[in-house]
Amino acid sequence: MPGEQTKFLGYALTDPSKWHDLKVIEFKPKTFEPQDVEISITHCGVCGSDVHTLTQGWGESKLPLVVGHEIIGTVTRVGDKVTEFKIGDRVGVGAQRGSCLQCRECKDDYENYCTNSIETYNSQYPDGVVAQGGYSTAIRAHQRFVFPIPDEIESRYAASMMCAGLTVYSPLKTHGAGPSKKVGIMGIGGLGHYAVLWAKAMGAEVYAFTHDESKVEDIKKMGADHVINTGKKDFSKDLTRTLDILLSTRDVFGDSTPLGEYLSMLYVHGRFVTVGIPDVDDTLPPIHSFDLVPNGCLLGGSKIGSKKECLEMLELARSKGVKPWIEELPMREVGKALQNLKDNKVRYRYVVKQDLA
Amino acid sequence: MAAQKELEFKGYAMTDPSAWSSLTVTPFQPKNFGPEDVEVAITHCGVCGSDLHTLTGGWGAANIPLIVGHEIVGKVTRVGEKVKDIKPGDRVGVGAQVGSCLKCRACNDNYENYCPGMIHTYNHQYPDGVKTQGGYSTGIRAHERFVFPIPEKLESRYAASMLCAGVTVFSPLKAYGCGPGKKVGVIGIGGLGHYAVLFAKAMGAEVWAFTRGTAKAEDVKKMGADHVVDTTVDGYWKDLEMTFDILISTVDHFPAGVSLRSILSMLYVHGKYITVGLPDVDQPLPSLHPFDITNNGCLIGGSHIGSKEDMMEMLQLAAEKDIKPWIEELPMKDAGKALEGVKAGKVRYRYVLKQDIAPVE
Repeated sequence: MPGEQTKFLGYALTDPSKWHDLKVIEFKPKTFEPQDVEISITHCGVCGSDVHTLTQGWGESKLPLVVGHEIIGTVTRVGDKVTEFKIGDRVGVGAQRGSCLQCRECKDDYENYCTNSIETYNSQYPDGVVAQGGYSTAIRAHQRFVFPIPDEIESRYAASMMCAGLTVYSPLKTHGAGPSKKVGIMGIGGLGHYAVLWAKAMGAEVYAFTHDESKVEDIKKMGADHVINTGKKDFSKDLTRTLDILLSTRDVFGDSTPLGEYLSMLYVHGRFVTVGIPDVDDTLPPIHSFDLVPNGCLLGGSKIGSKKECLEMLELARSKGVKPWIEELPMREVGKALQNLKDNKVRYRYVVKQDLA
Repeated sequence: MAAQKELEFKGYAMTDPSAWSSLTVTPFQPKNFGPEDVEVAITHCGVCGSDLHTLTGGWGAANIPLIVGHEIVGKVTRVGEKVKDIKPGDRVGVGAQVGSCLKCRACNDNYENYCPGMIHTYNHQYPDGVKTQGGYSTGIRAHERFVFPIPEKLESRYAASMLCAGVTVFSPLKAYGCGPGKKVGVIGIGGLGHYAVLFAKAMGAEVWAFTRGTAKAEDVKKMGADHVVDTTVDGYWKDLEMTFDILISTVDHFPAGVSLRSILSMLYVHGKYITVGLPDVDQPLPSLHPFDITNNGCLIGGSHIGSKEDMMEMLQLAAEKDIKPWIEELPMKDAGKALEGVKAGKVRYRYVLKQDIAPVE
């Protein structure tokens, strides 16, 4: 039977003091169950989460650990209860691979918020098997967490949509990005550049905020209507009470972040939503009620997205021909990609091509 | 049509900030009367936490002399020639706002309570320099946009505290979808909190009240709360994870060690924690990490009083559903006593002062 001889090999963290020096290991995959899909991996995107996890910035990780959760590949095996996929389908897996499927959140198409969620890597299945990620040859996941990729979208482009793309699409959709809305995007990296592309595709007027002058031309080409350099003094002055949504991809905060200034750019009941998650000791700067009350604004968070949102996003990408700005490398060079990502050097997302099998 | 006797503007004013609750009757200059203004002879005024924060200097230095009070009900004595919907003799209310620019996007969107050019009912100033003085007084003048006809069925002593406390919680309940099928939590059952319980029930939601200790539990159940939670019980939030669509917080003082993370964990996906409590300027919200808001995709927000649209809807709801706040009435000369009572957390649940300087026919 195809897939039964699949070897599960991956580039793994073995020594946290050398966080981007990943060694090839063989690992035990998820125990195959009737609703599972097994995928032979061709591509994987490199996400900020990979860096936060490997550097131990989000806490002590499991060892050895294979990260990577922007996965594209081909179905090699399906369980007998799988209805959505067949062998040979081209599919993706993102940052989540399991949930309880019974709670209110799961039933409301909010499975990304299930309190018993299983993350694609650095988590553990109830039977004890450690979840290993996509810098590898193959993965198994419950069909709810496997997404069919439209023919028109190339695998190298689809890869980073699985986490970066979905993570910004979800709040843009939830908070009403669309025609006649003014949407601000703070931080134009992997997630931020997707937010510009999606918000434009959804019909909004887009304001991109960056502290990096060298990105301005690119951001205009991505379609942003306005590009604002946050390094400039009083950058927010002409934008007071303007934005309906301000989506922040910042994953570094600290007390010097002018959060009050960001909130002042929101129109009445406007929303500041962070998808960026910094290291555990990096809290938000102090917020006073007086920051929230003058414009009745809201400050929120968002975590990846649901399957429903993912399929919608892929259809948007397909119908509007949206392509991310990627840099491609063979998977053996993922360490270089990780270091460059940490140093903010990527323009705008790395995708690695699987080279172990 | 002129009033029979011209209204004399006098009020109980703070003249010495070191004796902030000793208020003495002082004449004051009212707003210069304009064609869109309404003049009101005051009969009642509610006592608001804002009055306290302002008089004690907690929100910054106050204008002296200062007359506070922004939960005002009275009888119209005079209207400007452009005023159409209000006439002398009408029973009306004035809340925490007396002016806005009326031209900006917010004003045009019925969000005048968020106008950057808004004028507060007291401790503020008109463009011509006249200082705004509040409702612990005989009278007030305000632009008709900020004057609200009171439904006949609604008694003045009940309507008074709806003008600030009531609308301040009604506005976010309405904005964020309080209604049948929704679970709404109210944190802090004082003047504003008890109104949130009354209105949320009237709007059809399932209501949970959060209060420290058990002293208020019986009252809160009588107000209609479906459940009452004692927040001094350790881990009270654990069984309520992922439950609420809306949490209204009226807390204006966070005791040390209160974790906002635990409170936010009680919100359902995309649920909203809305603070209407405004602590003193040196008291930020307890510290947060983005994980605390990404785990359930929740939002923290603020809300500021309400618009005329909110106010009229609220008064209509109160009249229709016969909503009566729980008030304690005092003559206006006892304003200082009422303020001390609010400060000590003793009021059950809102003081209303009856104007006694120049009784209104």
